[in-house]
Amino acid sequence: MRRKQILAMAWENMKLRRFRTSLTTLGVVIGITAIIGLASLGEGFRVTIKQEMEQGFELNVLTVMSGGLLTGVGSYFTDDDVKNISQISGVLLATPLIQKSVGKLYNDGENTTALVLLAINYTEFRQIYPDRLTIEHGDWPQTVKNDTAVLGYNVEHPKEGEAFANTGQNVTIAMSFTSQFSGRYFHNYTFNIAGTLAKSGAAGFINFDDAAFAPLDTVRKIYNTTNSDMIFVRIADSSYSQSVAKAIESRFGGAGEVRVLVPAAFMVQVESILSMLQIFLTGVASIALLVAGLGIMNIMTVSVMERTREIGILKAIGARSRTILTMFLTEAALIGLLGGVVGVPLGYALAQVMGRFLFRFSAEVTPRRSLITGAQTQPLTEVSPILSPEWIFIAMVFAVGVSVIFGWYPARKAAKLEPVQALRYE
Amino acid sequence: MPAVLEAADVKKSYQMGKLTVSALRGVTLRIEEGEFVAILGPSGSGKSTLLHVLGGLDRPEYGEVLIDNISLYALNDSRLADVRLHKIGFVFQFFNLLPRLTALKNVELPLTLADVPEHESMKNAKEMLELVGLGDRLNHRPTELSGGEQQRVAIARALINEPKIVLADEPTGNLDTTTGGEIVHLMQRLNKEKEKTFVVVTHDPGVAENADRILSLKDGLIQGEKRGTGDAHS
Repeated sequence: MRRKQILAMAWENMKLRRFRTSLTTLGVVIGITAIIGLASLGEGFRVTIKQEMEQGFELNVLTVMSGGLLTGVGSYFTDDDVKNISQISGVLLATPLIQKSVGKLYNDGENTTALVLLAINYTEFRQIYPDRLTIEHGDWPQTVKNDTAVLGYNVEHPKEGEAFANTGQNVTIAMSFTSQFSGRYFHNYTFNIAGTLAKSGAAGFINFDDAAFAPLDTVRKIYNTTNSDMIFVRIADSSYSQSVAKAIESRFGGAGEVRVLVPAAFMVQVESILSMLQIFLTGVASIALLVAGLGIMNIMTVSVMERTREIGILKAIGARSRTILTMFLTEAALIGLLGGVVGVPLGYALAQVMGRFLFRFSAEVTPRRSLITGAQTQPLTEVSPILSPEWIFIAMVFAVGVSVIFGWYPARKAAKLEPVQALRYE
Repeated sequence: MPAVLEAADVKKSYQMGKLTVSALRGVTLRIEEGEFVAILGPSGSGKSTLLHVLGGLDRPEYGEVLIDNISLYALNDSRLADVRLHKIGFVFQFFNLLPRLTALKNVELPLTLADVPEHESMKNAKEMLELVGLGDRLNHRPTELSGGEQQRVAIARALINEPKIVLADEPTGNLDTTTGGEIVHLMQRLNKEKEKTFVVVTHDPGVAENADRILSLKDGLIQGEKRGTGDAHS
């Protein structure tokens, strides 16, 4: 019997039992809606988080610090080390940095606090974070004089709406020293403000908004050193992360001597967690589809019983078992297909609604401080669900597959009916 | 005349609770092409079982059935289904039409199963229904037809694939005497005009007497054979 005829007969049968068919199909629709809804929402969530994290983590920047317990104390890296690192393939730029904790900054009776003083090569450091460090007032020092400073947003604005210093003004920075005998003490130095930064957020463990910037050479002189605490490395692409990190470590004699912070490594973990979450959600949704499968099995078993005599007649006049099997499986597959066709757009619509309202709600009940960037960023209020063709395909295959699998047993039962018994059936 | 159907020592029993009932205890018979044969027997004589076994619907425990020289029960299930489709036509006591299909669609069904193209199957089915006198009932469903009309549809369906033999199981059993007579008459006409071979199982001597040959079945055995009135024509 030709496929077209079988299809037509299956369709007729479904139409004949319209109410029952609709209910059975509804089960599949709910299952597919749940799967597509959660999968596309999960995908959208994953991509949104990933984008936020990529911005927050600055995946193309590696930070090299001295290893062991002495991290952060004393100057470790020479300028030759910096030059060595900049020659590693995949490295675009390496620049040294000294990080000092400072106390107060003073300006005519005004004062403000900077958590950290970053001594940098202005030109190079800006290239490490080309998209992040934007100027609010003034500019980066064009020709670096030894007394030019740049202030982070929170340093410049101790209170919202107030400004600590204008560009061109001189301010006093109390810089801290540690002495073996007297412990920690401060010395005041005067700097000229070249510019102030707009909100820049944090990258890795440095929050630029709480930092003051000063020329590297000046700070080196103040602290009487030619070395630096850290080296910031910009690489061509985050895919070089591991190889560059390995190369740096080997140049310093192994992983114990220096530590290289690789933000991409965090990303891999976070991404695997998000993928797991998505798979978990979809798995939960699949349960709905399995329940729908049981519904199909149930309803088809009833249908086979009701149509026992009809099956007997068909077999008596020469229908093969295979034809009967195909007839029933076609019905199951049609139910699955129908459920999929309705369920996929419905699921996507559900994801849109959830993406719009669920996260807005959660943004209202959680503190407005993003874990990832650590600074003032827009909280996640909306997630645009993403429905990939792969997911549509998977959902359709799943819908039809589950229907056929669960339809198999009753269909087989129908096909195996003995014609004589079936004819006797009332 | 060559044999269309041959049965040799067919035995068949079935379980009734703990009891094993021998329905057929070694039936041997031979039907020739163009014959109209009645198998006459009281109820419980094994007539229906015999017809089912002859028609490839029920495997016997012993013996052989040949239709058009094909040994039915040497075939696998799907080959056997093909033989039923192409070489055998069935007419049942309770008509056994598909209730939701029109008369036309019911008659078309075997053609559809045999992959005959739609335009051709429709044309053939229409002609066949006209032949059995239902040219004006093509689009009626079984529930909209009288018993006699339903049986005519069933006969049309049985003949549509040009079978070698038509097996009828109490075709008048569910009809009043007049209508039953008409149905027998129709089958006889098809037998004469179209040279179709018929085997009719019945408990009604009045139906049987119109046949060419009458085989008496009793206790699962063919007990005798006599000429019927239909014999005069052949």
